[in-house]
Amino acid sequence: MTMFSRSDKPAEPAASPQPPRPQAAAQPLAPAPAPARPQASSSPVAGVSVISKALKITGQLESTEDIRIDGEVDGDVRGLSVTIGQGAKVKGTVYGDAVEVAGAIDGRIEAKKVVLTATAHMEGDVVHQDIRIESGAYIDGHCKPEYGKTVAKPANKPAENVKAS
Amino acid sequence: MPLSSLARTARAGNVDDVSHLGLALKVTGLVECEGEVHVRGIVRGRINAARVVVSAGAFVEGDIVAREVRVAGRFDGRIFALNVIVDEGAAVTGRIFHNQISVERGARIDGRTPWRPPNYFESLDQLPETMP
Repeated sequence: MTMFSRSDKPAEPAASPQPPRPQAAAQPLAPAPAPARPQASSSPVAGVSVISKALKITGQLESTEDIRIDGEVDGDVRGLSVTIGQGAKVKGTVYGDAVEVAGAIDGRIEAKKVVLTATAHMEGDVVHQDIRIESGAYIDGHCKPEYGKTVAKPANKPAENVKAS
Repeated sequence: MPLSSLARTARAGNVDDVSHLGLALKVTGLVECEGEVHVRGIVRGRINAARVVVSAGAFVEGDIVAREVRVAGRFDGRIFALNVIVDEGAAVTGRIFHNQISVERGARIDGRTPWRPPNYFESLDQLPETMP
């Protein structure tokens, strides 16, 4: 790959003023470096974090953007919008503006807006401003409405940390 | 998780799930994955996976244990991997235990890059307590 990109660089400036089509046909090597770049930076959306089914995290997770968890997290999760997918397991506190749960949580939820879908399994307290519980969801814990105290604080704090470090 | 078991899962068929640790995400602790992990944010701790990609702009501090590692961002710590690719613009501090390594022009490596035979990685149940 290194060899390709090196041999291409001197060739390109001479060829670039020409119409691009013949150049592409004449240089089969030219497209080769192109797929190599996106490979390192290919992602659906830069900010969204996906913890896939095969992943397990022991420790803390902090984000100023959306987090989707399909795997296992043993620790606290902080994000703007947190989605716990079906089959996911979280052991710890989930903080966020909006938290949607289809998996299992053993711990606590502190969020403005909480949605427990039919497959949710929640063991622990839910501190919320707005909650929706679908039929079929399992909860073992208190649901406490709380206004002002827990709001926005968890989501904003990590932002300063990320920028600083 | 020992690397030998990672090797098994990787060979048994690639898990096509790729985990993305996004730009704004900061993880402290242990990240374990049977598939591929793309890091774009900050990870402090340890990453065990079949394949790890540290994207440009990302920062990883700690140990990475994997079959294949690609670094384009900043890394501080130790890498234990059969195949290591250090891309242009990467900055690596520490040690890279490898069997095959490729360093692109423009990469920065500050530290050592010890070579090890493949069986060293297969039998890597416990990481050595080396300090640079």
